Amino acid sequence: MPGPASSFTDLLSKQRTVAPPGYNRWLVPPAALAIHLSIGMAYGFSVFWLPLSRSIGLTQSVACPEDMSFLSQVFATSCDWKISMLGWMYTLFFVFLGSSAAVFGHWLEHEGPRKAGVAAAFCWGGGLLISAFGVYVHQIWLLWLGSGIIGGCGLGLGYISPVSTLIKWFPDRRGMATGMAIMGFGGGAMIGAPLADILMRHYATPTSVGVWETFVTMGAIYFIAMICGAFGYRVPAPGWQPEGWTPPAQNKAMITKRHVHLNEAHKTPQFWLLWGVLCLNVSAGIGVIGMASPMLQEVFAGKLIGIAKAFNDLAPDEKALIATIAAGFTGLLSLFNIAGRFLWASLSDYIGRKTTYFVFFTLGIALYAFAPTAGQLGQIAVFVGIFCVILTMYGGGFSTIPAYLADIFGTQFVGAIHGRILTAWSTAGVLGPVLVNYIREYQIDHGVSRAQAYHTTMYILAGLLVLGFICNLLIRPVSERHYMTEEELAAERKLAHEAGARA
Amino acid sequence: MNDASRKTACGDGQRLTVVVAWILVGIPLAWGVYETFQGAMKLFQ
Repeated sequence: MPGPASSFTDLLSKQRTVAPPGYNRWLVPPAALAIHLSIGMAYGFSVFWLPLSRSIGLTQSVACPEDMSFLSQVFATSCDWKISMLGWMYTLFFVFLGSSAAVFGHWLEHEGPRKAGVAAAFCWGGGLLISAFGVYVHQIWLLWLGSGIIGGCGLGLGYISPVSTLIKWFPDRRGMATGMAIMGFGGGAMIGAPLADILMRHYATPTSVGVWETFVTMGAIYFIAMICGAFGYRVPAPGWQPEGWTPPAQNKAMITKRHVHLNEAHKTPQFWLLWGVLCLNVSAGIGVIGMASPMLQEVFAGKLIGIAKAFNDLAPDEKALIATIAAGFTGLLSLFNIAGRFLWASLSDYIGRKTTYFVFFTLGIALYAFAPTAGQLGQIAVFVGIFCVILTMYGGGFSTIPAYLADIFGTQFVGAIHGRILTAWSTAGVLGPVLVNYIREYQIDHGVSRAQAYHTTMYILAGLLVLGFICNLLIRPVSERHYMTEEELAAERKLAHEAGARA
Repeated sequence: MNDASRKTACGDGQRLTVVVAWILVGIPLAWGVYETFQGAMKLFQ
């Protein structure tokens, strides 16, 4: 008789997730959204930085002695953490998201999305619990380990878990389907950040800033939501097609009907060109996100509140006022980032993936290059509009890539190939901010004014988009020798528990 | 119950599940978008 453990494993198996005839495919995107909305909170983690930076001092930060080494600060329980130490969490998120997606993608293709979703729930929810303990005992390494490393692995697994499944359910609208899920990742912080704020205020006492209690509550909420999402996953039966839909009879050169093996994909130039496309689009986007708010404040300064003053001449209360306006600007950019994820990916179903990225890069180059001029002309509305459009294309770059991969490499390994491509995101997560910060510091150190310093940075980011444009332009269909043979495909489908599937 | 009516009942049940599933993920998302929108409005005040 099978034990409870084997029954649970059986419940998670790929065979158990095969949808019965007549299953409504529109049930799969909400399951994917439940997972992506949960892990998307990673973007909103900065809401914890300020309370965590005074978790010992409560009302104000208690600085560590100046001669204290970095290692001692990591284990110290008598002084507060610096925001720069907490900021390491973002680097860990990006790095472990990309690496876990790359490493576990193949496993996901064989074991199915439900098992990956459950593993992601344990990593993300459990990681938050470890972080809660870290806050409670004031050990920052537990936060890095819990949320950053273990949680980061949950991010990677959760992020790629629905991709392959959605593409198989929506062969007629690949872009829209994956766009919906990836929109959720962008939207997660919109729910998580205000929720965390409410919870921290609720739990705050004269002896606690309320963060560890918030981590426990959110860990539990996300665990439940992700488990519900994972159990909502269903894979289509072998050979399933949407009712009334037939694959286009006319072959489209940029959409293959064949499949490239995961171990073969990275040997093709197309893989690296797509890696470059994603990395360059995201690097430029991350650079702009980091700059948008300070740029608005320093370029327009007093003009934002109707007074003719440069940024350095503003009084503290005036600076506080424009900081509030800039926070509104950041919020507006998040909305456009989310909208772009769905809209551009959906549009790519009609205009094609290569054309979509062609628009991202050409329009992007023009807008990045024109933004400083809009600032110089004092056109606030044009300046804000430019950044909003740029942010839609940043989001669109993430959400259109899975469908682009499916078009180029086929659907058999698309989830795993997507996982490997996400290392481009990890790279961009480090490259983008470093590039922007160093260029800016270098210019300011050499006497360039704060407002002017942004100009060169924007032109350099536009230069990254030129490189991305070239990468996209060079993408052609994969050479015949890289595709799997019918025998290889049949053997792979047997391994992936898809016996009886059509080629 | 004949096959056709069973199929319709099954279809209706699934449609209801689809609506409920979308409401469950839609409400928090709509709340998050509303909160962000409220913040974004500060830019125009």
